[in-house]
Order: sequence, then C-alpha cells, then structure tokens
Amino acid sequence: MADCEILVIGGGPAGMAAVLGAWEAGCRKILLVERSEQLGGILRQCLHSGFGLATFGEELTGPEYARRYIQRLQGLPVDILTDTSVIELKPDGTALLSGAVSGLTNIKAAAVILASGCRERPIGTLPVTGTRPSGIFTAGAAQKMVNLGGYDFGQRFVILGSGDVGMIMARQLALLGKTIIAVLEKEARCGGLERNRINCLERFNIPLRTLCTVTRVHGSARVEGVTVRNLSDGHEEYIACDTLITSVGLIPERELAEQAGGGGALPDWLYLCGNACYVHDLVDDVTYEGEAIGRAAADFVRTGRKKAAPAIMNGTRTAVNGKAGKTICIACPKGCPLVKTDTGWSGALCGRKDPVPSE
Amino acid sequence: MEKYDVIVIGGGLLGCFTARALTRYRLKLALLEAREDVCTGISRANTAIIYSGADTKPGSLKSEMCVRSAQTFANLCSQLGVRYSPCGSLMISFGPRGEEVLGKKMAQGKANGVRGLALLSREEVLSIEPNVSPAVTAGLFAPEAGTVIPWELGIAAAENALHNGAEFQFNSAVTRIEKVPDGYVLEAGGRPFHARGIINCAGLYADGLHEMVAKPSVRIYPEAGDYYILDTKASGVIRHIIFHEPEEKGKGLTLVPTVDGNILLGPSKIPSGEKNDAFPTSKEGLEWLCGLAEQVIPSLPMEHVIRSFGAVRPNPFYVRHDPDTGLLHRDDKGISDFILHETDGAPNFLSFIGIKTPGLTCALELGLYAADRMAALLGNLQPNDAFNPNNPAPLRLKELSEEARAQRVREKPSYGRIVCRCRGISEGEIIDSIHHSIGAKTVDGVKRRTGAGSGRCQGGFCTQRIIEILSQELGIPVCDIQKDRPGSKVIGGKDHG
Ligand SMILES: Cc1cc2nc3c(=O)[nH]c(=O)nc-3n(C[C@H](O)[C@H](O)[C@H](O)COP(=O)(O)OP(=O)(O)OC[C@H]3O[C@@H](n4cnc5c(N)ncnc54)[C@H](O)[C@@H]3O)c2cc1C
Ligand SMILES: Cc1cc2nc3c(=O)[nH]c(=O)nc-3n(C[C@H](O)[C@H](O)[C@H](O)COP(=O)(O)OP(=O)(O)OC[C@H]3O[C@@H](n4cnc5c(N)ncnc54)[C@H](O)[C@@H]3O)c2cc1C
Repeated sequence: MADCEILVIGGGPAGMAAVLGAWEAGCRKILLVERSEQLGGILRQCLHSGFGLATFGEELTGPEYARRYIQRLQGLPVDILTDTSVIELKPDGTALLSGAVSGLTNIKAAAVILASGCRERPIGTLPVTGTRPSGIFTAGAAQKMVNLGGYDFGQRFVILGSGDVGMIMARQLALLGKTIIAVLEKEARCGGLERNRINCLERFNIPLRTLCTVTRVHGSARVEGVTVRNLSDGHEEYIACDTLITSVGLIPERELAEQAGGGGALPDWLYLCGNACYVHDLVDDVTYEGEAIGRAAADFVRTGRKKAAPAIMNGTRTAVNGKAGKTICIACPKGCPLVKTDTGWSGALCGRKDPVPSE
Repeated sequence: MEKYDVIVIGGGLLGCFTARALTRYRLKLALLEAREDVCTGISRANTAIIYSGADTKPGSLKSEMCVRSAQTFANLCSQLGVRYSPCGSLMISFGPRGEEVLGKKMAQGKANGVRGLALLSREEVLSIEPNVSPAVTAGLFAPEAGTVIPWELGIAAAENALHNGAEFQFNSAVTRIEKVPDGYVLEAGGRPFHARGIINCAGLYADGLHEMVAKPSVRIYPEAGDYYILDTKASGVIRHIIFHEPEEKGKGLTLVPTVDGNILLGPSKIPSGEKNDAFPTSKEGLEWLCGLAEQVIPSLPMEHVIRSFGAVRPNPFYVRHDPDTGLLHRDDKGISDFILHETDGAPNFLSFIGIKTPGLTCALELGLYAADRMAALLGNLQPNDAFNPNNPAPLRLKELSEEARAQRVREKPSYGRIVCRCRGISEGEIIDSIHHSIGAKTVDGVKRRTGAGSGRCQGGFCTQRIIEILSQELGIPVCDIQKDRPGSKVIGGKDHG
C-alpha cells in the first residue's frame, strides 16, 4: 500500500486548484487521481468562451482555462494518475484505485480531497410518463457527444429545463443547423444565468416557454414526440420531435464521501470542493475555493486538527443570476447589475467601463 | 430450406427454458426471436419475484410447479451462473380483512407444501421490517421466496441451450405458418423454415401465432402496469419482499429489494387494452404507486427514484364464436392455471398463451413440461447424453476479493478501466458481454448483461463510451449501434445521419 499526504480525487478545476493550494501551503506528497485520460473535468467539453474573467481578466474557453492549470501542475513534482478511478473510500481513509495501466491499488493518505464534480439528474427522476425510446439525452451528455465525439444525434429538438447547460446546448445545436422547437421551463422564469438566456436563446430566436413541462414521451424505437403541458392553464399539446434534451438539475457526486462517513458525519480527514460540494455557476469560484480547501487540507496534515471549513465564496452568485427584467451587463460571465458612475455606466462587480446592457 | 425437428417461437423466459429443456433430447432445434436479443418482452418488465407457492390454489399445475421451483431455485441459479437473493417474503395486513387473507394464504400454502410459513404478530413484523407503517396488524412470512434478475436468468438459459446444440435466430419474427404433411413451414424474417413440431412461446403475441394454425380459442386481453426503481442509496429500507394486502378491496403494493441493491416498487394495474411492447408508463399508475408507498413504508425515500417503467400483463381468456352475432364472445373469468394449449387440427403445435405470474418462478418447470410433451408427441427421441446443465457465470469483478481482482486487472488491463461509474462496471466486463455466446449487440443488451447504465445517472456518463466499445468490438460504425430494437440508433439521428 502506497502512502501520500494528500489524495485529491478528480482532476477538474476544483481538484487541480486543490493540488496547487496544498502545494503552496507546503505539502509535498500529493497524488491527483483522474478518471479520464486527460485533466480538465467538465471544462474539456465546454468549447464556448466565458471562463476565467475574474481570475485572469480575460474570457477563455473551457479547455483554455483548464490548460493554464494543467501547465502549472505539470511544472510541479506532484503525482498525477489519469485513466484511474477511485472506486471505494474506506472509513479509515484508504482509497481503492482502479485503472487500466495503474492497476488495482490501495492508497492511504493523511487527508483526502473529493473534487469529483456533479452528475445530471436523469429523466427517470421526473414524473414524465410514456415510453423511453432512443433520442433522450441529458444536456451534458449531449454536449460531450458533440464537442468531444463530433457526433450528430438528432434533427428536431425539444429541450426540457432552462439550466445553463441546456441553453448553451440550444445555441450550439442551432449553430449546427438543427431545429430547436422550444426550451421548456416549469418555473415562471429561466433557470440558468440571465446572460445565457439572452446570448443563447433570445439572440437565436429560440422560444423559451415558461410554466411548461413535458408530461409524456412518445415513440417506441426513436422519440417521435412529446406531450407538453402548460402548467398555468393545464392545456396539453403534442409536439413532434426526434430528440429530447433534459437540463433539469445537477447533483453533487459525493457517494464516496457518504461511503467514507458510513452515513454519519464527514470524517475529519475528508474535504469536499467544487461541484462535489455544491453546484457552482462560475469556474472562478471553483478555483478560488479549491485552492482554499487545498491549503486547509495541508494545514490538517501538518497539525492533525481540522479548522472550521473555509468560508465559501458565494458573492458572485446572486449578482450573476440577475433577476429577469432587470438590466445586467452581458459582456462577461459575472453578469453584473449596472451601476451609474461619473463617466457613465459600469459593471457593479467587475468594474468594466464598457458594459453591454442586456436590454 | 432449413429443416428442424422442433422450432421454438419467442425468446422470452419461456422460449429460452423450453429450448434448453429440448436440448436434453437429440434433435435439431431452432429458436426464432423477432427482436435483436432474448428477454426484451414481458421477461424484461416484471416484478422479479420467486414466489414461495402460497398464493395459488392447491391442486393446480401452477401451485405444484411454483412450490417445486421455489425450493430448488438457488440450485438452478448456481447451475446457470445467475445471482439469486433468497431474501424471503413478508405479506402484511392492516386490519381484519387483510388478516383473513393472511390466514387463508397460510392454510393454502401449507396445503401446497410450502415450507417454513409463519404468521407474525405486529411486533414481530416491525422487528424484522422496522420501516413498515406502524399501522400494520400482522404478517405472513415465507422464507423460501426470493428475487432474481429475470433477464440474467433468461440469457443464461439461452446460452446454455446454445451450448447444448440449439440454434438461435434473431430479427426473425414469424409472420406466416403453413401446415404441410410432414409438419409446418414457417416464414420468419423473410426466410422459410421447416419443423416437425412447434412450441409457441410468443408472449403477448402468442394468441395471434396460435391462430395462424387454429381457430380462435384463447385470446390475450392485456392490462398495463407501472413500476418505480429506487437508487441503491435506499437499500436497507426493506430487507424482504413485501406484499401489502390492502384493507379496502383492490390491489396492494409490492416492494422488492433487488439483487443489485435497488428497491423495485409496483406494479400498478391499469386497464389498457393495448399490446404495446414499448411498455409505456401511465400517470394514474405512477401516482397510485407514490400514494400507496407512503401508506405502506412512510419513510421510503421517493427522492431516490431513478427510473420508472411500464409492463403489460398478458391476461388469457377463452373465447367462443357467437354464431348469432358473428363476434367472439369472451368468458367472464380469465384462465387462471398454466395451460399448454393443443388443437385438434394442428398436431405437434403447442402454445403457451398468457403465462403470467409466477411464470418467471416456474420458467424451468414450464420449459421441461413443454419439451417433454413435444418429445412424447414426436416419439422415438433419444436422450442427449452430452447435455450439460451448467453455464459458466460471466466474470463479475465486484464479487472477487481485492487480490483476485487485482490479478485480473494485471492479466487484462481493461478490467481496471471503470466505464459505468454508478455501478462500477469495467470496460473489460462490457467487452466480455459483447463476446459472450449470446452476446450484447445493443446499448440495452450491454445494460442487461452487465448493469452498466442502470445506476443513478442512468447512462448519462457512460452511454457514449458503451456505443464506442460496441462499435469497436463488433466492427460496425458508431452510427449503426442501436439502443435496442431496429430504428433506435442513438448517434446519427433518426437513421438519417
Ligand atoms: C455546460 C457548462 C457550462 C459552463 N459554463 C461556464 C462558463 O461559461 N463560465 C464559468 O465560469 N463556468 C461555467 N461552468 C461552471 C464550471 O465550469 C463548473 O462548475 C466547474 O467546471 C466544476 O468543476 P469541478 O472540478 O468541481 O468538477 P468537474 O469539472 O466536473 O471535474 C470533476 C472531475 O472529477 C473526476 N472524477 C469524478 N469522480 C472521480 C473518481 N471517483 N475517481 C477519479 N476521478 C473522478 C471527473 O472525471 C472529472 O474530471 C459551466 C459548467 C457547465 C457544465
Ligand atoms: C407485470 C408482470 C409482473 C410479473 N411478475 C412476476 C414475478 O414477480 N414472478 C414471476 O414468477 N412471474 C412474474 N410474471 C410472469 C413472468 O414475467 C412471465 O410469465 C414470463 O416473463 C413470460 O415470458 P414469455 O417468454 O412468455 O414472454 P416474453 O418475455 O414476452 O417473450 C415472448 C417473446 O416472443 C417474441 N415474439 C413475439 N412474437 C413473435 C413472432 N411472431 N416471432 C418471433 N418471436 C416473437 C417476443 O419478441 C418476445 O421476446 C409477471 C408478469 C407480468 C406481466
């Protein structure tokens, strides 16, 4: 059994930042384990730009943002195991790793940081009746198929849920020449960031139908259509389509932590960060928090004592989800409310002097 | 034209076990299945229970087979390399009406020869199932009930039949049967087949096939049902199969702690009249399940539902031609016992029409029954001395010790690469499932054989990878991989990309 001081599970932005934070705090025996063959996590499939404004002051694509951290990691003598999954986290802090090249091994670390990201809520969790033919995808899975696989998987789409990934997919599919019949949202307002509603839907004339949901899927081999219910008046209509994309929520992927805690409280040696902790809108927040968690874990390794969890930076979230109808700046992902200054308008959070108003 | 001694129509549990039982004789045998794989029909959508035999009337073939099957089921599963959970069942009542039913079943079960039945007090029920509603009044415990994965059982029986000499033809829907002097000529998948005898195991469609050679005498009047599956996070909430006997007249809820550690809830009962083999779910049915679940197990974590699915019950009824109206007249009561139908004008043509619960439990017995009847009809058959009842179990890494598993990964690195993160299934196990003798050809085929894609993310993370592995192993393009039936391609759009 190999030993290390800190084991980081997951090589997305959270895990990479945690490694850097722990290194900066003086920790030297760090192991990062990533399931995929490459580091980067969900960023690898986010080919749109809008990452890193708070951290780097420029707008990067997901892979560009990831590359900056990958390069920094590659400059450090930390161990990185890709193509390897942690399949079990035992209550004594031993992790069981499985990989094609790395084999099956146990690793015992003084502290473990779980940065495993999140998963998408599948359609089966919704009260949608009817059949389950081919042609139903979660938005993230669809994004991966297009951006990492180059695959084509439908022509006429209905998108259920106006989460960010769903809206980003709507835009991307529209750019690929597909028909997006509608984005349906059961709440009275868009579920994702206001800037995504404007940039991805409004600019592409994709209808957002609020207070609407899918109640039934039709088709035996491939999706042939869906029944859409208007929740305000109960009216139902049939919409023909060949693909249904769902963007109905993300769930932190922290089963390993539940396993280690045996159903009770988290053990002292275990830290969570990134989307495994809660779902973040902005990667900058993920990185910032990841570094703080890395430092805290290094501190725990040194002192054997766990301090209160570092405060979670949550400041940008409320501003970003600017209330519909209120004018915000859509020049960058922060989506700041506009504030009046001596020289004109500027972004309330980023201080940008050339804001792009949403209306 | 290929000539066979016996052709089995349909590759559900009954067809697979009938074919397996026929390979105990020396004969030329084929199974014709309409779909791309075995166990895609009723055998894929049921409650997965091995019944003890206390639920059916003494003296019936059903009861006799069921008791014998339950008592030997673990043995059958170990022969076939199939996982079995002998968890026992607990029928619970909530008042005097229910208690009376428990008493009746107790007496009936004893008469049928069910072993170990015990009436439990309210306290005893709550001590073995603490999450059952405190309103429970009594229970009937049956230790010899259990649960199995129906398609795992069916696939193993099919593979065993194949190893013992049966041929399997997929994508071969029988569309015509003609009586000829020395047997029958069938048309299936556009090709002709000749057989001296036919055993019709076509599930929901068995009545239609029977009527290709005989006048209508039995018809299937289908009825739909709905199920929910809860994530393995809910495992432990119940330990036994639970049959809820409602106080008001009507159907009770059934809960099953499955072999994979999920909880299965259902089925509802929805009049449907439709033989829809895409098995749609209904709003009424799913709402009924939620409502009852709350009454029976108030703490059941319904937030852990990961999927719902539909089922269709093949209810059989005798029908008669009414000369006055020219219409078919249906008996008031359905056929309750298991019957292997034969018709005067169609010798050596045997039909299972509408084999419902406990058809899964009795699949082995029903298969033997049909095979032996056919052997008697054909006469002069020699036993197949080479018949081997054992089927090797697929490698399931999770069942190995850490050392054994590490050794497997060293020998074959793809056993180390985890593809389905929710169920922890490796690339190597998926590749194995594709190259098994009745191998997976579709995404759902891989799911049925390995469990990959059946966990809490429902394939969100792994479906694309599974398609790529199927493509690579089968040597066909990614855009030709189907989810299940023809026309269900996943990538490449609706067959036009
Ligand atoms: C479609 C989309 C668009 C977005 N757009 C923007 C945007 O424009 N701007 C912005 O700032 N933010 C955006 N975000 C948000 C931000 O990118 C994410 O919140 C962030 O990437 C989450 O990082 P993470 O490291 O927590 O998780 P992830 O990136 O999901 O990384 C988790 C990693 O852990 C690995 N892993 C999981 N379990 C294991 C295990 N058991 N063993 C080994 N490895 C494991 C996974 O393979 C994965 O690589 C977007 C997010 C999405 C999904
Ligand atoms: C809702 C429900 C719950 C149940 N629960 C239980 C339980 O808990 N325990 C238990 O013991 N039993 C249970 N049963 C009963 C059990 O599931 C069935 O008895 C068993 O699965 C029947 O299998 P089968 O082979 O007859 O049908 P199927 O599995 O439907 O197989 C029939 C096959 O025939 C094929 N076919 C049809 N037409 C043609 C054609 N023209 N040419 C070629 N092939 C054709 C189909 O494609 C299909 O594969 C349940 C049944 C139902 C409906």
